[in-house]
Order: sequence, then C-alpha cells, then structure tokens
Amino acid sequence: MSLIKELDYGTPIRLSEDEVTLTIDGVGVSVPAGTSVMAAAMSMGTKIPKLCATDMLEPFGSCRMCLVEIEGRRGTPASCTTPAENGMIVRTQSDKLARLRKGVMELYISDHPLDCLTCSANGDCELQDMAGVVGLRDVRYGKEVANHFETDSPLALPVDTSNPYFQYDPAKCIVCNRCVRACEEVQGTFALTIEGRGFDSRVSAAGVSFLDSDCVSCGACVQACPTATLMEKTVVEHGQPEHSTVTTCAYCGVGCSFKAEMQGDKVVRMVPYKGGQANEGHSCVKGRFAWGYATHKDRITKPMIRETITDPWREVSWEEAINRAASEFKRIQNDYGREAVGAITS
Amino acid sequence: MADGATRLFIPRDMAALALGADGVVAAVERETAKRGLALDIVRTGSRGLLWVEPMVEVETPHGRIAYGPVSARDVADLLDADMLNGGAHSLRLGRPEDIPFLAKQQRLTFARCGVIDPFSLEDYRAHGGMAGLERAAAMDAAAIIDEVKASGLRGRGGAGFPTWIKWDTVRKADADRKYIVCNADEGDSGTFADRLLTEGDPFTLIEGMTIAGLATGASKGFIYSRSEYPQAFEALQRALAVARRRGVLGASAAGSGKPFEIEARLGAGAYICGEETSLLESLEGKRALVRAKPPIPAIKGLFGKPTLVNNVLSFAAIPWIMANGGKAYADFGMGRSLGTLPVQLAGNVKRGGLIELAFGATLRAVVEEFGGGTLSGRPVRAVQVGGPLGAYFPERMLDIPLDYEAFAAAKGLLGHGGVVVFDDSVDLAKQARFAFEFCAVESCGKCTPCRIGATRGVETMDKVIAGVQTERNLNLVRDLCEIMTDGSLCAMGGLTPVPVMSAITHFPEDFSKGSRLSVAAE
Amino acid sequence: MAFYEPWNADVASKIIAAHAGLEGATLPIMHALQEAFGHVPDAAVPLIATALNISRAEAYGCVTFYHDFRRKPAGRHVVKLCRAEACQSVGADALHAEIKRELGIDWHETTADGRVTLEPVFCLGLCACGPAALVDERPVGRLDAETLRDALAERH
Repeated sequence: MSLIKELDYGTPIRLSEDEVTLTIDGVGVSVPAGTSVMAAAMSMGTKIPKLCATDMLEPFGSCRMCLVEIEGRRGTPASCTTPAENGMIVRTQSDKLARLRKGVMELYISDHPLDCLTCSANGDCELQDMAGVVGLRDVRYGKEVANHFETDSPLALPVDTSNPYFQYDPAKCIVCNRCVRACEEVQGTFALTIEGRGFDSRVSAAGVSFLDSDCVSCGACVQACPTATLMEKTVVEHGQPEHSTVTTCAYCGVGCSFKAEMQGDKVVRMVPYKGGQANEGHSCVKGRFAWGYATHKDRITKPMIRETITDPWREVSWEEAINRAASEFKRIQNDYGREAVGAITS
Repeated sequence: MADGATRLFIPRDMAALALGADGVVAAVERETAKRGLALDIVRTGSRGLLWVEPMVEVETPHGRIAYGPVSARDVADLLDADMLNGGAHSLRLGRPEDIPFLAKQQRLTFARCGVIDPFSLEDYRAHGGMAGLERAAAMDAAAIIDEVKASGLRGRGGAGFPTWIKWDTVRKADADRKYIVCNADEGDSGTFADRLLTEGDPFTLIEGMTIAGLATGASKGFIYSRSEYPQAFEALQRALAVARRRGVLGASAAGSGKPFEIEARLGAGAYICGEETSLLESLEGKRALVRAKPPIPAIKGLFGKPTLVNNVLSFAAIPWIMANGGKAYADFGMGRSLGTLPVQLAGNVKRGGLIELAFGATLRAVVEEFGGGTLSGRPVRAVQVGGPLGAYFPERMLDIPLDYEAFAAAKGLLGHGGVVVFDDSVDLAKQARFAFEFCAVESCGKCTPCRIGATRGVETMDKVIAGVQTERNLNLVRDLCEIMTDGSLCAMGGLTPVPVMSAITHFPEDFSKGSRLSVAAE
Repeated sequence: MAFYEPWNADVASKIIAAHAGLEGATLPIMHALQEAFGHVPDAAVPLIATALNISRAEAYGCVTFYHDFRRKPAGRHVVKLCRAEACQSVGADALHAEIKRELGIDWHETTADGRVTLEPVFCLGLCACGPAALVDERPVGRLDAETLRDALAERH
C-alpha cells in the first residue's frame, strides 16, 4: 500500500463538444475547447511546473512558474490562464523558460524559511517539489533581506492555532491565494482574504483569528495549500502519512469519498477524494476533521440487538443481526402491509 | 455678470492653485472693489503654460492678453499698469496664442483647455464642442467606428493599441449591458494631461465617452479618477451634473434616442489601478488585483460585461475626430503614430507644461525649444519619458522622434507622454533603486516577480550603491530584470526593468562606486 | 484642517446605506466613512459587509489594499509630499529629509502633539511646479520647508 496521489491537471476539467488540437513539445494533442494549455499538457502526461494552479480552482495566473512559449505570441504566457487553441504550437521547455522558472523560484525561496527537515509538509510540499524541478541551487539575494519568517522580522506574524483542527503559519505563505480561492470557489464561505498588498500581502481571516472568523472549518483551504502554511494539526503532531485508502465518510447520507491517510493502522488525516462523485474533492468539517470517533473507546464496532427498549443491548454476530433485521421487516409487512416499512439512512 | 464688465480669466487648475491662484483672485476682488471697478472673473482651467501660472488673462477688444506668473502681491501693481486694458507690465505675456510655447503646438484635444469656463456648455459649444457628438448621434455605430479607424487613433494611456479595434470588439459583443470606462487614474510621474483636461475641459471627455457609448451600445460609463486629484474629481462631478441637466447624458443622450449615463468614481491611492483590469476590480469594489487575460475586458470586463476601457486622452481625442473627420486627424503624425500627442514636460525644466504636438517631433525639440533647458541652469543629463516605467535617456539620445515605434526601438516607451528632465546632479543608480521602490510600494502583490522581485530589487540596488560586490549584485539586478520583464503578470512588474536597465545601460558610470563618490564630492 | 466626528456605528450605518445602492459600492462607502470619521476603523468592516452582502473578509481585504484608507485617525493636519521622479528632479529628496527632521517624524507617522501626519504620495500631477505637496488636500507647488511651515501656521 502506498499514498494515493491524485493527478492534478492544474485547471478545472472543461467539458465541450468542440475539440481543439494543438502541438505541445512536438506532440499533437486534442482537448475539449476551453481547456487550458496546462491541462492539455497534463492530459498527455507533461507536467508544467506550477504553484498557484490546481484543478479544484479556476486559473489565477499569479505564481508565474507555468510560463510557456507559444509560437507567434509575444513573451511567455502562463499556461494556466491561456486556453488551448487550434493549431497552437507550445513549448514547455527552453533555456529561457528554465531561467525564468528558476528565477521565480529563487524569489520565492528568498522569502521562505529553509527548515524543510523540520517542516510539517516535508515530503508533501509543492514548493519543495518545484524547487527540485527547476533545479534551484542558490539563493543570491542574501540573508539580510526583508522577509516574513525570521521571528525578529517586522513582517513576521505569529502562528494562528486557534482553529482546533488546523493551524495557519504566515511565515510559510507564498501568497498563491489558493486558500482564499478555495474558500470562495469550493466552499463558498468567503472567510479568507489577502491583507495588505505587494510584498506585505498575507492571508488573513478578515483581521481576526481563524476561530473568530466566518470559517466553518471545512478544510478546503488546508487541502488547497501547497505548503505547510495551512496544515492539519494531526500532521503537525504525527508527521506525514505513509499509505492511504479510499473510503466513504461514515457520517451523513451524502456519501463523500475520502482518502483515509494513515501511518500503520492510525489515521493521520482524512482528505476528500477528488474521484468521489458525491463530493468531488470537498467535504464538510465532520468527515474532514471530526474522525476522532474512529479510534474512540466508546465506538461501537459490533452489532447489537435488544428485544425491547427496556432490555439491555446484546452483542451478536453480523449474520444474526442482518437476519434479524430482515425477518423483522418481513414480519411487520405481513402484519401491517408492504407500505408499513420506510427507510431513512444518514 | 455685470454689463460691460471686463472679463478676467484666472485658472482654477490644481497647478495654478498650487502656485497661488486663489490668492490672486482674492487680491483682484479686494483691489477692484477698492477702486470701484466692475469685473467678471471667469475661473478657467490651465492652458498648460505651467511656468507662468497663475496666468491671468484679460479680455480686450484686441483679444485676450495674458499676464504671468501673477502673485497676489502683483495685483495692485498690475491694475495700476492698466492691466484691464492690456497695459504694459513686466509680467505681460501678450496674446496667449502668440506665446511661442503655445504658438508652436497643434492643439486639437486641448484647443479649449484654459480658454473656456469648464462648466459652461454654452462656452463649450461656442468653441466647437458638441459638434462631434451631434454628428455621431445621427450615424450608425459601425460608421462611427469607421471614423475612429480612419483617424489611426491609438490608446493614449500608454500601450498604443488601436482604439477602433477595442470599440469594435465591444460593439460586436452580445450582452444585455455594456460599459464604457474611462481610465483617469493618471499616476505616472511627469504626467498631468488627464488632470488638465478633466479640470479645464471636462465636457470634451464626457462628449468622447458618450460617442463611445453610441458606437458600442453601452449605456453606462464610469470615470475612474484619482484621489490625488481632488480638484479634478470635483470638476467632473460638476460637469456631469450640468451634462445630465442639459440632456447630454440621460435617457436620450444628446437627443440620440439612446440612453447613456456617466458616474465619476474616486480611486484610493493605488497606482496599479491605472492597469485596466485592476481598475475594473476596483470599480467592482474589490482589492485591485490584476486579472489574467484572456478574457479581455472588451469581452468580459466590468461585472463580467463587455467593457470599453480607454484613457482620458483617447476619449478626449474623439470629439475632434468626429467633428473634423478621421482623415483630418490622421493628417497629423508619422508612421503608425497618427494625430497628436499631448506631451507633458516636467521636472527640472525652465518652461514646463502641456505641449500637444503631432507625432514626429523630437524629444530634443520638446526639452530644448519648448522647455528652454533646465530650471537649475545646469546641463541636462537625463530625461525620463513615459512615467515611472519609462526609460532614462541621456542627453545624446534626445533626437528620438515622438513615435511609439521609435521609442520601442530605443528600449523605451512613450507611455502617457510624460517627459521629466534631470540636470547633472542626478544619480542614475538612485533612480534605478527608486524604480524598484516605486514598484514595491505600488505592486498589487498578485504575481511573484513583482511582489517579491521589486523588494529584492531595492535591496540589491542598495548593495550596488553601497559598493558591496558591485559587479555580482549588478548581474543579479540584470537577472532579476529579465524575470520581471518576462515573468510578470502585467506592465507594472513587466516594465519596472525599463528605467532600471536604461539607467544601467546609458549611465554605467553611476553604477560603479568610485565614480559616484567623485560626483558626490563635487 | 478637517474636523471629524467620533466613530458612531449608527451614523456609519446611515452613511453606508446612502451609498449601498451604487454598483460596486465598496470604495465610495469607504471614502464617505473616512470623510466623516477621518478613518475607516475595523468596526466599520462588518457593517459594510452586511450592507453590501459581501463577507467580512472581502471588506477587510479591500480596506487594507488601498493606501488612502486609514484604520486609525491621523493627526490634525495631513501633509502629503510627492516623492515621484519629477519632484525628485527638483530636490524633493533633500527637502523631505529636512521636513522629516524638522517635524521629528518619518513617513506615515504623526508628531507627538498629534498636529501633523506625514504621508508620501507618488505624483500629484504638479510635475512642472515641484516639489509638490497636498496640505490638508490643498495643493502646494514649488514647496520648500518655509512654505510648508507657513502653510501649516495658517492652519493652526
């Protein structure tokens, strides 16, 4: 068993009856009209570097890692915000693009703590991955520079641990806006914004703590965060999971699919599964975070039967429990008619 | 107005106010009351001869006679010298239209600015206003756009994009509501043409926008002005009220049978709002983050509707074009830069002001013939053209013609037509640092190259200036400039390297510690 | 100098309601609040959000984006000095250093007696008659330290 890694096309899947055909790195590919160049590339297995893009969110175009060259177009457009067009000839790799991506990454890392080994996202960090992909070896801007991560920096802000399920560490924020957009586009709560502008920009729950904000703890922001800025407290405490399995939420009747991410038999976090047709990668606070019941000592793990409400519960086998339910349905229908049985699940 | 009273024209333009125009008005009122003189004071905009502001004009049988720069304490003396009849005085400038600075210009857009009462529709009409709109009101939309096409007008905000294409795109867009948005967020240092026109001849802007409304099928216009221009915003609101009252705007704009309304809005201290998508976000009441394109605003703009965004000067060129024909406008200019460019000459210059010229005149003509050299009297060392994102040119490059392509070829930009003159005390390394600093202050913070790059640029330039590993850090600045140029989302980050690289290229001596120390030691 | 009334949620709500019908009303509302109270305090954020049916975060993000909007009251006089290139070319940097020294404050600060707040501004469109300033919204050209002293003295 291993961790289930879902493909990220970078921009949402577009459905269209019209197809466009373009050439990416010399290979032809057809995609539904409206598909981004980034997603078109991913559909043929080409991963264009990215940080602010994810297929759960509309393209934003801020990180500038996904720049490509398109024949006949000026400059180096972002592949996430450029729709694929018929006849387009796209190059995702060139010396110039490599320089730009490395240069952008150098800027990112110049305002990011170099504490990967002790970071809760170590091994599951898109910033770390991208630094590796672009081959960043040196940050030339030096140490004495404005930053958000040194504790004595005037721009440093404390970690917000007010939410019971996740924490917000502004020092690690790369201002990709994925959390803000997830709160708006995926959850629809609009609890997050960016405070200030320019270099000072930082994610904010409207100037108050996450707990005091409009946040409903759905966790969409945490899931969207490419770094350790927004992180489940369970991961902060226990570390990264090593395997996962797809399961269905045990709470309500919607039937949300989750990846139960675990260390051994211990759940580290529950992450909504994009392939789940009921929830498409989103969930509510309960399935996302309130799974402590899974290992609670009071959790009922065996079926029980009692004859009357005054009788004590009696543990039985699954076979007996199911037979009993079936026979009782039949009895009630015999006594009172077929319509006498209704069902509700939750 | 008192019958037979002499008319005196005193600007209420912000620059004139900054130089004491209100004090002059108070002194004139005081002195004429004392002398029992009947006088009718008309508050105008400025003609743009800013070095002689406050410039007071008196109406005489031989035309207007100008005096300037007039201060409050000159007034009694001027009246003693029979100023009201055009009497001789050391401040007498003669007929304004004969002043070489003005006589050598081709004033199409600015023909009325400083001449008329900005809020008198009668004055406006008497000086040719409304002719374009009245003609347009009787034309069909495509024909209006053909006229704009014939004029060769390109966006005067800086990008130089053919105006008619935007208009036509909005016209052809199918939507229940379309918008006209005037970008009056004139933030470039060294520019003030939008302000002068807005304060001095706001009806021209209103007329131009209304024509655009008729041509595109838009029913609502917004003018996004700056909070740094309180007078301009006030002038707009006053002029809009007049235009509404007089039916220029309303359910049947100028009798066209089509509705058009304009609302003025005030920015809140964000240079980035001069970028059109950022401006639209701001108008929608949001953080003014730049939007990625596509979609372009002409397809999906304000509140998601097709929106025409043009600069003040683009709209303001339209009434003349519609009144005189696109062909007549295209007869001015050179190459693909047709018509006139309102150049704004500023900074360390003897005669600064608004110079509307056909494209093709040289930068040298502007700086030397119009400007008369530096204010300080020291040699011109550098000229920055096109605002804070424009290049610094050395004196030896002043023969570039005012033409979009010529400036692009010289790795600069005409931008909004601002020309800022520096004398030989300028330190171009400091200016390069400032370019980054300005970007850091004004970056919206969306894209990484601008958000972090600008701040790193300041820090790295500080090291260069301090002589810390100069060559290594200068190379880092060059690398950073490439990242910002090619990586930024919009022109703010994308063009910040223009002033930086032009300074490094044309003034290398300022970037090596030794030589600058010797300059400083002078 | 402008006189501002102390923060009052009822007055603020009336101001907000008066502008809430505009398309994209956030900026007009924030300007109007600042004109009335001299600043846009955090207490205004939920009122604006409710009136415009936007979230607190959206209103808060907006107020913190624009440099014009203060979240704390300013001094009795606000002096905005132009730092842009045209003013630099006529010695603005040295002048600003002198003014800061004289007032004993840096950018965005207010003198200890609450009299003057100093703000940088990037271009007032007075580029042919710099150094330029706005003293309580009144434009001043060809500024020097003495002119500023006089302008402030006139205004107590």
